[in-house]
Formats: sequence, C-alpha cells, structure tokens
Amino acid sequence: MTDDATPSWQHLLDLVAQLDSGSYDSASVTYGDVSVQLSRSGPLTAPAPVPSRASTTPATTSPEPSGTIIASPMIGVFYRCPSPGAPPFVELGASVGADTTIGIVEVMKMMNPVSAGVNGTLTSFLVKDHEQVEYGQALAVVAEASSQ
Amino acid sequence: MIEKGNANSGAPPVVLVANRGEIAVRIIAAARRIGASPVLAASTADADSPAARLADRVIVIGPASAAQSYLRPELIATAALQAGASVVHPGYGFLSEQPELAELLEIENIAFAGPRPETLRAVGDKSSARKVAVAAGVPVAPAVEVDDVEAVAGLGDSIGYPLLIKAVFGGGGRGIRLVNDAGDLARLAPQAAAEALAAFGNGALYLERFYPAARHVEVQVFGDGEGRAQIFGDRDCSVQRRHQKLIEECPAPGLSAATRAVMHDASRALVQALAYRGAGTVEFLVDTQSEAVVFLEVNARIQVEHPVTEEAYGIDLVAAQLRLALGGDPELPDVPPVPSATVLELRINAEDPENDFRPSPGTISRVRWPSGPGIRVDTQLEDGYRFPPFYDSLMAKLIVRAHSRNAAVAAARSAAATVEIEGVTTTLALHEFVLSHPDFIRGGVTTSWFGPTWEHRSEQRMESVR
Repeated sequence: MTDDATPSWQHLLDLVAQLDSGSYDSASVTYGDVSVQLSRSGPLTAPAPVPSRASTTPATTSPEPSGTIIASPMIGVFYRCPSPGAPPFVELGASVGADTTIGIVEVMKMMNPVSAGVNGTLTSFLVKDHEQVEYGQALAVVAEASSQ
Repeated sequence: MIEKGNANSGAPPVVLVANRGEIAVRIIAAARRIGASPVLAASTADADSPAARLADRVIVIGPASAAQSYLRPELIATAALQAGASVVHPGYGFLSEQPELAELLEIENIAFAGPRPETLRAVGDKSSARKVAVAAGVPVAPAVEVDDVEAVAGLGDSIGYPLLIKAVFGGGGRGIRLVNDAGDLARLAPQAAAEALAAFGNGALYLERFYPAARHVEVQVFGDGEGRAQIFGDRDCSVQRRHQKLIEECPAPGLSAATRAVMHDASRALVQALAYRGAGTVEFLVDTQSEAVVFLEVNARIQVEHPVTEEAYGIDLVAAQLRLALGGDPELPDVPPVPSATVLELRINAEDPENDFRPSPGTISRVRWPSGPGIRVDTQLEDGYRFPPFYDSLMAKLIVRAHSRNAAVAAARSAAATVEIEGVTTTLALHEFVLSHPDFIRGGVTTSWFGPTWEHRSEQRMESVR
C-alpha cells in the first residue's frame, strides 16, 4: 500500500497541522500521487440540527449534561488523534478555546478539522475514535468557562 | 445473481436512496419489491420525512441546503459506505446524471443505478449528445456552420425557414436571432457575427432550423449495458410552462405509425451505439406542421413521468434499474410500441397558478386522495407534513389509467376533482382547466400551447370580476 512516492501519515498530519494554523476555507495539495483536500465548514458554534436518532443517544450519559455540544460538521469518520498512536488533539479535561481543534471528520479522504467553538473544558466525547458519524451528530461536550 | 459491493451472502442487499420527496418513496417501494433493504440518505430537513419512516435506516448527510447535502457526491458515497450499500439509486435531479458520483462509487465497488460515467459524459452536454446522435443515425435539427456572413442565402435555403442564428461559442440563449426569410438572414447574419465577436471573442455562427409549433415526445428506453435495447413506448409531455412539464401521457396521441417508428428506431439505435445501461429517455421534438422528428437530448436517469409508462405496460422500471445494477435480470418483458391503455399523469405542485405560479410551501393540514380502478398516487404528502421551502415544488403525481384516451382524460378529471389538499395552494386548478379544454381533449397540443392559453384564462377571469 505504501511506497516511496506515497507520503506517510505523519507527513499528511504535519501538513494538516500546518494548514490548520493558517486561515483558509479550502486547500488542495498534491503530493506525489496522493492529493489531499481540506476544507473548513466554519465554526459550528450554533447548535446544528441534530438528527432524530442521534437525539436518542443524548448527553444523559455525559457527566456535564449542561455543557455545550460540539456537533459534527459533516458525515464521515471521526478521528480524535492526528495519527494512529499519536496523542489525541485534546485530552479529556483539557481546556479548549473556540479555535482549538478537537478532532477531524474525514469524508472521502477530505479532512475536516472540528473546532471546539467555545472556550471551556472538554468534559466528554460522545463518539469513539474512528467512529462513523452523521452530520449534526453530537461529538463532544464542553463545559463553558463562566463568563463573569 | 452476482453479488456486488459489501453485501454479506444471506443478508438482503442494501439500497441507498440518494434523493428525497416522492421519488425517495418510490425507490424505497422498488427496493422492497426486490427484497432489498432501503436506507435513506437525508438532509436534516428530511430526516423525519415520510420517506425516512419508510426506510430501514436514515443517514443524515448534511444540512437542508441541497448544495451541502444532496448535491455532494462525496457525502452520498460516504453514506453508501456507512450503510453497507450494494447499490445507490440517485433518483432524478441532484446527482442522477453527474459522473462524479458514479465514479466515486465505482472506486468503492458499489453499484450505481444508472448509466456508466462515460455515458453520462457523452450525453451530458447538448453538442456532445448531438454528435452521438448523428453518429447513431438519429434525426437532428438541420444545422450548418456559416463560413461567410455575406453569403448565407444558400445555407438558409438548405435548412429552411424559420431558422435561428446562433453563436458557436455562445451560451445561455444569448445572441440567438429568429429569422423568417432570406432577406432577414442576409441582414441579420453580419450583425450577429459582430455581436458574437464582441460578446464571446469569436464571431463564428451557425444556422439551425426552428420549429415554432412542436410537440415534446419522448421514448422510454432500457439497455442492458452490453448493447441490447428495449423500448417501452413513448410519452407526450407537451403541456409545459416555461419548460416545466405539467401533464404527461402514454402513448403520445395522434402519431402516425411512421413517425412513431422513426422515434423508436432512432432511440433503439442510440441505446445500442452507447451500450447504454439501465433506464433512460430519448427526447424529441415533433413538428406539427411537417411531422418532422428531431432529437433534443438524452435524459440518462429515471424521469419524473416514468409512472405513465409503468402503468401503461404493467412494469416496474425502478425495480428493473435496481435488479440490473445488482447484476441480475431486470425482468422486463418485450412490449408492443403502443400499449393497450392510455395513462395520464398530473403533477401537483406547491405553487399558486393564479399568482404567476408562486411557490407556496407550508404545512399540509389534511390530504385525501381518490381511489378506484387505474388510479395511482406517487407522493410524500401526509396529514401534518411540513412541505419544505428548500427544494422543488412537486408534491404529488396523480396517475390515471383507462382503456382509451377519452376515458383516461375523463377519469383523470374526475379523480383530480376529488383530491383534497388543505394548508397550501396547489396547481390542481390548472389540471381542471386543461383536462376540460377542447384543445387538450382533442390531443396533440404543442409546447407553446399552455402558457398563452392559461394567461388568456387569467385575463378573462380578471375581466369577469370587474
């Protein structure tokens, strides 16, 4: 599967990390015979319409049901880590800012970074790493920092 | 039967329905008919729709906006993977004729219930489709390129009048001139060339025959993908407003056997030449003055009006598409060119025909359909359904079959009169008008009949109110 002309996962993720800190709406990079497309869907701060079935697996199991739900911006596969074996983008209990990437949703090789959207503490993930997710599905909960 | 895709042997194959509205309901029914499991790919606006409840599973692919959901091939392909689908049915509109979806599915070894991507490309734009048609011996509108704008008289005579002057590099209807005689042509051709040069950077022109009084007649085809073609009669779809079909019927009324044979034979030749796979429609104009037949385009998908053909011949075209895509026998019979029954379809839209066909989305408080011999209703409506404003306005298709055209027109009129749809304005009033109009009852109106006739009625109503 991997040959010399194929970039490694680490190459791709370095690329994603580098692009993630820049400002762009979509980017397409061709690397040997591999082409990588990234796009931002904009901050999903507004609670996206949650599919009816997803709403039957609500945040009741979450320790912070009053937290802000981070919804998936896309149908795809959710990744918590930039690469297999690498530490996750964010650990449980870590504090996050609105722009903090908490994971990636991959759709047909297109990596869509998911931002926390709010400032606070990431209290739980509602989907597993590598899990298939639908548009609007709740991914994680953030307890917002109290705005005094 | 050859198993395709991810289906485990034993488990029913999964059909991903990549559409919405009445055609999603229709595809789900076809999936059930072949013993498959339907899964619906839906936007958030349709995640609770009647189609969603009929499916075994719903996968939410994106927000209400079609540009971020139903029109994104990668989202549909992802949903097909998540569903474990063996086949994706794209319905009509949206991605049904986009080679990109078919190609993405090919990579994932998931079947596409439609033609091959290269066929979609070959017939996807008018000039390429015309080339394919000419090569297959299909009659096209006479057209010729202009070499010298100062010497066009001979060209005009070779094509016949009236004709259109068009810019070779033009588009969107710009720069088109209607010409009625040789004097007009000699005067307008140099002007048109100068304009084309200014507008498109190239002054090249061509002349094309124009048919001011033509009917829209189309032929239903089905190909096995290896060169075998089946023809399932024809449909007349001439009752149109701004190129939107309102009423369709099978068979097209009042065609001579010779005219019908020209269309059917040309359609068969085209399917064979393309080794066309699955259901398709070859559209023609039939000039009411000369009975000349000219090719318009190929619709490489199931069409909205497919039920009139299904009812006329007792077939299930959507199930046949799915069976073929799954590697099986489509189970379609060979049929005569003219069916023994006549079938009409009335499109009921959420539009206000008394107010320039303004869209009228909203909540359907109550809906009741007629029943009886030969009546079929394809719809997603139900009591309490909120008709969304994001998509097209088609609410339902009322399909009526009878032993003769006169009987079918009368039956359709009485069926339409008993439809009850409360909560939104619909186009039912125009159906009552058309089905009782002597021109329509006689049969064979042209595509330019409905617009002015309806306008005239509206004016008369305004006057009678005064």
